[in-house]
Amino acid sequence: MKGIKIYLVVMIVALLAVQSCTKMDVFPSDQITTGSIPETADGILNVTNGNYSMFKDVLEFNGFKDDNNCYVRQYFQMSDFASNDIVCGQKTEDPLYYSFTYTHSPDQANARYFWYISYKIINGANTVIEIINGDDKFNDDVSKDLLGQNYFLRANCHFNLLRFYSKSYNDGDPNSNLGVILRESASEEGEKARATLEETYNFVISDLKIAANLMKSHSLNEYASKEAAWALLSRVYLYKEEYNLSIAYADSVINSGKFTLETAASFPSYFANSLNSNESIWSIAFTSSDNRGKFGSIASMLYSDGNSGWGEEFASDSYRELLSENMNDVRWSFIDTLYNDDGNVQTKNGIKVFYITKFSFQDGDPNLSSPSMLRYSEVYLNRGESYAHLNNETSALDDVNTIRENRGLENDLVNSVPSGKTIVDVVLEERRRELAFESSTVFDNRRNKIDLERKYWGYHIKGLTPAGVDQNNPPSGYDELVIPWNDSRGVYYIPVDEIIANPLCIQN
Amino acid sequence: MKKILFLIVAVFSVSFVNAQVSGFVFDEESNVLPGVTVVIKSTNTGTVTDVDGAFTIQAKDGDILELSFIGFQKQDITVKGGKTLNVYLKQDIVNMDEVVVMGYSDKTKTEISSSVAVVDAEQLKDVTSDDLGTMIQGKVSGVQVVNSTGQPGSSSQIRIRGISTIKPGNEEPLYVVDGIIGGTFDPNDIETVTILKDAGATGMYGARANKGVIIVTTKKAKEGKPLVTFKTSVGMRMADQGHLTMMNSQDFYNTTQELYRDPETHEIDKIKFYQDFPQSLQQRDFNWIEESFKPGMVQNYHLSVSGKKNDFSYYVSGTYYDEEGTFTNTGYKKLNLRANTDYEISKRVTLRNNINIRNSYTKSYDYMDMYYTYLNLPWDNAFDSTGHARYIDSKTPDWWSRDNINPLHTIDNSDHNYNDFSLDYDLVLDVKILDWLSFTSSNRMSFSTGKSHDFVSPLAAGTFHDKGYIYENQTNWKGFVSTNLFKFNFEKGKHNINGLAGFEVNNGYFNFMSVEGKGLPEGFDVPSVASNELQIAGSNTKDYFRSFISQVNYNYNRTYFLTASYRIDATSNFPPDSRIAHFPSIAASWLMSNMDFMNNMNWWNIMKIRASYGVTGDPDIGASRYMGLFSLNTQYNGNPAAVPYQLQNYNLTWEKTNELNLGFDFGFFNRFNFTVDVYKNVTKNLIVLASQPLSQGFEYRWENAGEVANTGIEFALDAIAVQTKSFEWRVGLSFAKNKNILSGIDKPFYTTVGGVSQIYRNDAEIYTFVLPKWLGVDPETGAPIWEKINKDEQGNIISREETSNYAEATPQEVGNALPDFIGGINTTLRYKNLELFANFVYQYGNDIYNSTRRYMDHDGHEPYYNYMEPADDWVRWKKPGDQATHPSMLNAELSRENSSRFLEDGSFFRLNSVSLAYTFPQQMVKRIKLRGLKLSVNANNVFTITNFWGQDPEVNLQQADWSMPGVSDFKYPINKQIVFNLEIKL
Repeated sequence: MKGIKIYLVVMIVALLAVQSCTKMDVFPSDQITTGSIPETADGILNVTNGNYSMFKDVLEFNGFKDDNNCYVRQYFQMSDFASNDIVCGQKTEDPLYYSFTYTHSPDQANARYFWYISYKIINGANTVIEIINGDDKFNDDVSKDLLGQNYFLRANCHFNLLRFYSKSYNDGDPNSNLGVILRESASEEGEKARATLEETYNFVISDLKIAANLMKSHSLNEYASKEAAWALLSRVYLYKEEYNLSIAYADSVINSGKFTLETAASFPSYFANSLNSNESIWSIAFTSSDNRGKFGSIASMLYSDGNSGWGEEFASDSYRELLSENMNDVRWSFIDTLYNDDGNVQTKNGIKVFYITKFSFQDGDPNLSSPSMLRYSEVYLNRGESYAHLNNETSALDDVNTIRENRGLENDLVNSVPSGKTIVDVVLEERRRELAFESSTVFDNRRNKIDLERKYWGYHIKGLTPAGVDQNNPPSGYDELVIPWNDSRGVYYIPVDEIIANPLCIQN
Repeated sequence: MKKILFLIVAVFSVSFVNAQVSGFVFDEESNVLPGVTVVIKSTNTGTVTDVDGAFTIQAKDGDILELSFIGFQKQDITVKGGKTLNVYLKQDIVNMDEVVVMGYSDKTKTEISSSVAVVDAEQLKDVTSDDLGTMIQGKVSGVQVVNSTGQPGSSSQIRIRGISTIKPGNEEPLYVVDGIIGGTFDPNDIETVTILKDAGATGMYGARANKGVIIVTTKKAKEGKPLVTFKTSVGMRMADQGHLTMMNSQDFYNTTQELYRDPETHEIDKIKFYQDFPQSLQQRDFNWIEESFKPGMVQNYHLSVSGKKNDFSYYVSGTYYDEEGTFTNTGYKKLNLRANTDYEISKRVTLRNNINIRNSYTKSYDYMDMYYTYLNLPWDNAFDSTGHARYIDSKTPDWWSRDNINPLHTIDNSDHNYNDFSLDYDLVLDVKILDWLSFTSSNRMSFSTGKSHDFVSPLAAGTFHDKGYIYENQTNWKGFVSTNLFKFNFEKGKHNINGLAGFEVNNGYFNFMSVEGKGLPEGFDVPSVASNELQIAGSNTKDYFRSFISQVNYNYNRTYFLTASYRIDATSNFPPDSRIAHFPSIAASWLMSNMDFMNNMNWWNIMKIRASYGVTGDPDIGASRYMGLFSLNTQYNGNPAAVPYQLQNYNLTWEKTNELNLGFDFGFFNRFNFTVDVYKNVTKNLIVLASQPLSQGFEYRWENAGEVANTGIEFALDAIAVQTKSFEWRVGLSFAKNKNILSGIDKPFYTTVGGVSQIYRNDAEIYTFVLPKWLGVDPETGAPIWEKINKDEQGNIISREETSNYAEATPQEVGNALPDFIGGINTTLRYKNLELFANFVYQYGNDIYNSTRRYMDHDGHEPYYNYMEPADDWVRWKKPGDQATHPSMLNAELSRENSSRFLEDGSFFRLNSVSLAYTFPQQMVKRIKLRGLKLSVNANNVFTITNFWGQDPEVNLQQADWSMPGVSDFKYPINKQIVFNLEIKL
């Protein structure tokens, strides 16, 4: 009897001892180890798609997913809220407020996330670039195209970082002014200094040229293509003031025959349909499951159907004045005025409500759109501006009028430069009318040395309370209604996280 | 055979005729003791002594009388002849032979050489709750319990001896239920709770004991005859808003006028003000707080039956707990069933079977609904003329609150609930192989499943209007623990040596699946009816633990004690090379009072010196933290997408704490018991999320860096202050002071939540706030003032100056979220059968960042949010020369940005519970054929003395996504509670 008991005990112990020898490696069920990416069939394709997804996704930052944190949302807010196209209708806790007031700080959440997510995309791009370049088995056309797309994404991210965190090219010496940190490999040392402005431009241009050579011609708006690289090159050269090259790459895009401008009739629905439009060169695809709603969509700050968004920022007096030159301009269709029952324009905190709808109505949803990162009309305007800077007035006006013909202004073409204006003014005004709210105006002004004038009521005015708004008179006696084009605060601070962890990086 | 047995019984019955036995009961000082229970052992025959301490009972020779009385040791008297008995009961304040459950083994108090506290069921009776932490608050020295929310069904946070880890994740102690790691239990089933505080005790739990161990033991049958216990508790709870009162219409109207003060004359421009804010607004006064917070009912019903028969004993119970939330449409319900059974298969083999089944249902709330309840204006009425919550959107006219949102309407049209089911099955086999050797196999299979349900009807205003929204998340967890130990025990002369050795296997499997969708038809709230924006998610993970466990105990003459344990753990959480870790511990004690030379000095009862040293660990980092990973849980344009997720670090290793404890126990005059412990716990290789340059594309990497030392001292005193025949006053005091210091950190790093930062640097305490320092208001201009620190190139401070430019204000260390000391006071007054108990808790020296004041105590920044009523000493600047605490509303740019303005002293003293209980005398109870009857009333969270100007000074100590330790955010207010209890035994 005792023998049986002891035997039983031994059996139990043995059984459990065997169980305890189980292999103890635990691999996550929804993550892939970095080392095994090249080993799976779609590894590099999935990472490439991941790099695109980071433009639209809300990624965890500082321990949680904050709906405010999304590449494209901050891309547009950090530029257009700092311009005079949009007026601030409400003070807010959201750091987007500091883009209006220019009271930036190194721990500003939007500027920190934008920096972080840009480099995360770059890390993803570098991962693919290194895998493809490092293994001969990836020499097929698909891999080549993927490689090109990742060079393109890397260049695009570095260039947008440059726009936000560095001075404009013509503001001092580009060989001593600082650009951004160039990340050329996924496994680089953490500590690295910023390149100069010149070096950064050259790095971006070099990547884009490689990308253009590798990529296939345009077929889907959701992805980068040979023409997207050319279009971005025409923008980069414009910013770098190499106008002939800007014209050359614009010509390449135009001559490709891949794109057509929307007409006056179709343009009002362009932004709701950017994924299917022939005017789009590259758009960030938001599917219905990517709808970020009230707390995270780009539209929610600019528009509300009563419930859909916060609707706290509006088209500015300054921008509407520019559009007022011709009421037939179809670009009015992106401004939705909110009226009271008595027919007067509603105010919010004393500010008149003119909603902006460039980021709404994909699938009819007020919060859904697939924002356009590169579109055909900008290419014409890049070329037009370059011609203007080269004093080629005829060609510049041709490009301006090409746009106007498709925006309901076919009877109001500009045939000569109006008195008191230069040909550059003419192009820039058209550019502002066309590309307002699309992360263009604020940079266009700076690189053309145009000061930021905001002599209208809005909460960019520090200390303003609703009691202080007087709609019968323009604001006066307030500081900073005009901010010089080269004001040092035009540049965002490098995030404090970078400065602490990377002593080689110099703060702005 | 049966007949013979009957005959024998009959013969016995005849030969021992019942007789009347009577006697008197005294204490040691010969005072008579009334109310003492006298029971014939193993029967239900019993009586109670009268006012003269006298009793009479029918008994026969050889019967054993068991005398028991609260505060005295039980005494057994064998009946012999018919003479009058005089019995002297001994006080039991120093009950040294009480058995303490230590997890893998049980020990008597005498044997223990480490710092251990025991709380028994009797001490938990003053609080009705479903949360153990709430019940032990203030009752154990060195244990900080924080009830940071009053949300129904929520758990408190427990910190034992300070903070020993800084990584995000689980910071709660390890729970052990009925000797096996993990498990679930109902508070009503608790027999004892043992809290292991030093490595001498926790060392047995090695790898997981860093944060202390709480051992819960559930009830067992104590006697043969079936005992039925029924407890019912019914009471009310009210939201405790503390010092927070939102303004009424009139006060808000007057405060808003401040925005209309003329900058030149400093007078209010009434004409413009009345234009913008008609005077009729003062007639509209809607109290959002009163309409949204209502008293809730709390109920607890518990029924248990226990008994023994031959080789079988059982304890079965059922508990139903129902707690209504004070906030609209919130609550918590729970049903718990337990069956504990023991079979004696043979003399050498026993089998224990414990089953616990729990099902709970929580009605939760949306943070934003709480937010708007506080901040919406008294000028806006939530209800229409029929009493229904109004639909409000941004087009609603004449709505004054900042955002056009009516939280009461949202609540009416949404649900946020959680359903939880868990099952634990324990099977323990005990085999006595030889007289000195036994084998125990303890096994538990656990399963729990939870489902959350978030639903917003298409009728609700807001982002889901006309669409509706559904989100459901199903989680499943399965766990298996098997501990297999050989235990031995040798005794020779004055030497005793015992111990155990064995191994443990622990596997956990977790998975979840969630669905989300919009486009719901009105009136339906399941995923199947969602028509668009459908999303799914799901993943799984697992963890493995393998452990070798051993312990040897030696004592000489029950005077010198030595315990050594050694544990080896391996976990799947660490990379292969550092997977295995070793956890030794040693503890020794000297029971001086057992020495011969001390036996003559009888004014003391016990004197004991203890020392322990050991290593513990903390592996709670989750799986795969050391791997380089790309996450696949997103898509682009409908295609699979992989996103950089984690940097690899194959050097990641265990975080370990070296714990040293010295203790002294001293009991004297039979009335006082005093314990003091000093300790130093040094946690090395702290696991941190080490900051990386963001330009690498990663925020951090899991690394080991630095160490933290917690040093402290703890006192506990239990005393019988007054004791007479019928009156007794007992007092318990506890005090604990802990100091926490970081070192070995290369580069200081910060955590930031909502713009509030805390620094981690050498020589600083964990949770040290870094904020611009607020210096008040400029009397001339009414502008806010902060401190600007000027430094030279070496970083030395040259000067400090005032600035009204927030951007210039220097962030500096301004306070700390951890208290200097904490403790509790317990007092029991007993007069005959009536007992009054009170429990006080206190905390001193911690700072709280009162984040809600940024929204409720601003300077006109949000003119359409309501303000909180100011404290008596708050003064708003109105004209030059004013000495004010609050800036001019016209000159307050950035004044409510994060600064020490909102950092407040979090010290408090709280009457945590009061309980009045009456135990009916046995004679009376017997007359109505019961074995016990007790009535009591408890009041919880009775009053709080604090300077903290917010809801409550008990604030979150968990580092989590949206919360930072020591920051008080919008929260579910805690409760005041009064509960009536009835306990019947039969």
